[in-house]
Amino acid sequence: MKLRVTEYLDLDLDQDKWCCNKCGAVLNDADKNYKEACLIYERNPNEVHRPLVEAEYNFSPDPNWVRIIEFYCPSCGAQMETEYLPPGHPLTHDIEIDVAALKARVQSKELGIKEGRLYKSI
Amino acid sequence: MPIPTLEEKLAWMKPAPPMEYELACVEKLSLGSYEIGVQRTNDILDEAMEVFMRSSRSSMGVAGDSIVSLFTANGDLVNAASGTFLHGMIQSIVIKYILKNYAENPGINDGDIWFTNDAVYGGIHNPDVVVVMPTFYHGQLIGWTGAALHTSETGAIEPGGMSVSAKTRFEEGFNVPPLKIGQNFKLNNDFVEMAAAFGIRAPQMVVIDLKARSTAADRARTRILELADKMGVEHVVGLFRKMLIVAEQSARERIRSWPDGKYRSVNFSDGVGPAEGLVRTSLMIEKKGDRLLLDFSGTSPENFSSYNAHPQAIVGHVSNFVYEYVFHDLPVANSVFAPIDFYFPEGTCLSPDARAATSCSVMIATGVMSAVHNCFGKMMFCTQDWQQVTASAGNAGNALVVAGLSQWNMPYSDMLAYSLNSEGQGGKATGDGVNTFGFPWAVFGRAPDVETMENEFPMLVPFSQHWTDSCGHGKYRGGVGSAQLWVAYHERDVWFLCTADNTRLQTPQPIFGGYAPCTVPGISIRKADLLRRMQAGEFNGRLDLTEILDEQSIEGQWIIEFFARAARSFAHGDVITIAFATGGAGYGDPLEREPELVLQDLQNNIISFWSAENIYKVALDDSGRKIDQMLTSQLRQKEYHQRLQRGLKYQDFQAQWSQKMPPQEILHSFGSWPEGKPIQMIMRA
Repeated sequence: MKLRVTEYLDLDLDQDKWCCNKCGAVLNDADKNYKEACLIYERNPNEVHRPLVEAEYNFSPDPNWVRIIEFYCPSCGAQMETEYLPPGHPLTHDIEIDVAALKARVQSKELGIKEGRLYKSI
Repeated sequence: MPIPTLEEKLAWMKPAPPMEYELACVEKLSLGSYEIGVQRTNDILDEAMEVFMRSSRSSMGVAGDSIVSLFTANGDLVNAASGTFLHGMIQSIVIKYILKNYAENPGINDGDIWFTNDAVYGGIHNPDVVVVMPTFYHGQLIGWTGAALHTSETGAIEPGGMSVSAKTRFEEGFNVPPLKIGQNFKLNNDFVEMAAAFGIRAPQMVVIDLKARSTAADRARTRILELADKMGVEHVVGLFRKMLIVAEQSARERIRSWPDGKYRSVNFSDGVGPAEGLVRTSLMIEKKGDRLLLDFSGTSPENFSSYNAHPQAIVGHVSNFVYEYVFHDLPVANSVFAPIDFYFPEGTCLSPDARAATSCSVMIATGVMSAVHNCFGKMMFCTQDWQQVTASAGNAGNALVVAGLSQWNMPYSDMLAYSLNSEGQGGKATGDGVNTFGFPWAVFGRAPDVETMENEFPMLVPFSQHWTDSCGHGKYRGGVGSAQLWVAYHERDVWFLCTADNTRLQTPQPIFGGYAPCTVPGISIRKADLLRRMQAGEFNGRLDLTEILDEQSIEGQWIIEFFARAARSFAHGDVITIAFATGGAGYGDPLEREPELVLQDLQNNIISFWSAENIYKVALDDSGRKIDQMLTSQLRQKEYHQRLQRGLKYQDFQAQWSQKMPPQEILHSFGSWPEGKPIQMIMRA
């Protein structure tokens, strides 16, 4: 039984694992940050945001101020998430679901799962 | 009277417990009368909003970047016209302050008109002016009405109300705590004169807008009294209370249906007034049962600029998102915030000292505006509310102010509404963000016609267009923003300033693998040859942003600088600025975007060929009008493969990444690195 937590991230409630929604690959334990199981790439923002004028301020982020951190599925290469962070800034643990509480609510039928999404049981 | 404490302000934004009389009135509501009654309040508010817009003088007033609201006798917000929802939320503080402190002296009477613009007492920032009126029915206080609108002038050290250069409250012009400014349905002339004096840069705008607020609040009040006449006063009291009850119950039920957990976003800004500096907004939403806690720990310290915000202003900015996306189908009632708590660490830029400058609070709040999209999005995507998940809109500010003497010899000082009201929406779970969708602070506002701008102000606007590539790219891209060219005209000097940021980096974070919008510089051209060449018919009525930037085809002294700019003057013929409205952030992996949509964007000049090739990995056939499907597939497979080659495992990435940090010179307002703790005391005389 999988829950679609983001566009590319599933939560497998049977195995308590994060999985890739695109290829199904298991990433890591659900109580951990899924980003730690991704391949991570630091990208110069100029590669994504092309400078449009020859000037210090040129419509492209300044790489001294910010980098693009790309998180890829290690199996299929889907770009699961991106963060714009100043150099060296800690990565964000963006999703920390109380899996035990969620499973209890599903088992008690307070919530159902249909097509990967929670719905309120009537 | 004491300045309200943070605890009081946060508590006053939540609904007061129902009185027995109110609950008895709820019981008397007949079948169907609630639903009809809710629609009647919508109609009343829509009418009052129309009156408000038609009565206003300033650009934002005419555009509808404003709100009219209804409140219970206790001051709780029960519904509001579509507009600046943030203004609705904070008026509960204002009314409850009046009820607590001024019931005896000067008293609260039928026909009163009350005013405030002071963020220390519950406002957003001092250019946001609130007028509220009590609604008495045969001597019984049954509610309040309010009308709020950004004023075009506060008498600060710079024109326009949002002083980008102010460093303390004492440089920001007039700040008026809740004050009775009218009695017996008439404004006091002495107060009107005071407003005109502080608004001496644009007295007709300040005074007419003041009267427009009063008129709009009174129109709503009048219609509520007519409703009481028609349906009975108990119907109105019961209706208002039931709207609070239904909104709260529905909000709790919706929150309860989401998974418990913690959801985080960090967002960065690059402006500290007109100076450059890195500032962080940190948000964690903890969801448990039917409650939410929004915790802003980790946010950078308060700073020595006007880019600070008092906490209730931040709650107001959260309410913009909440009313637009999460509880869009509920009454605009403050009871949806009953299950939502906030934690603001004191001394941060989101909870500064009372002496702090906060006239640009809406700029520092952009980090919160973006963060809520990501935190709520990651909480809701696995639920039946997934279709409401949307990346952040563009919110670089674009608060472009012009001031001086118009071609009609009228003093003016105004924040122009075109750029404000034409930013791009973020990419959505269901499709692209809307191009030039509106004002992230008031999504239903309307960008004015260019002819109106040219008629009101001594400027020429030779082009207005979608801004190619301004969107954040993604499976569903953000909507693009707009670009206009503003040229000083009519042989008049024009004063100009801009409250904005997003030149070194973008505040909106994308979502689910998309990219942020591009950054935006401030561009002006002094001694431009444009007018002479236009008069010679050289451009044949066609000017295009891309050509101007690529070829610098307008000759003159180009100045490319930070987007936020302190006040400066321009002479006839100068390009005052290229007025940019930024695009929305992207949603999802760009390699998943349908190639046909990329082609469509190319044909509509929404994106460039460079982006099609380099971001979306789309190839066209020899005709240049069709997708080369096979080559596109190969390019995308190659890119997937290259990601797997270049991506590092977490430990390897951390080993490199943790050794880096930004240059020390940009961290002056960040706090300690990377904790963001205060490292210097700010002294404000």
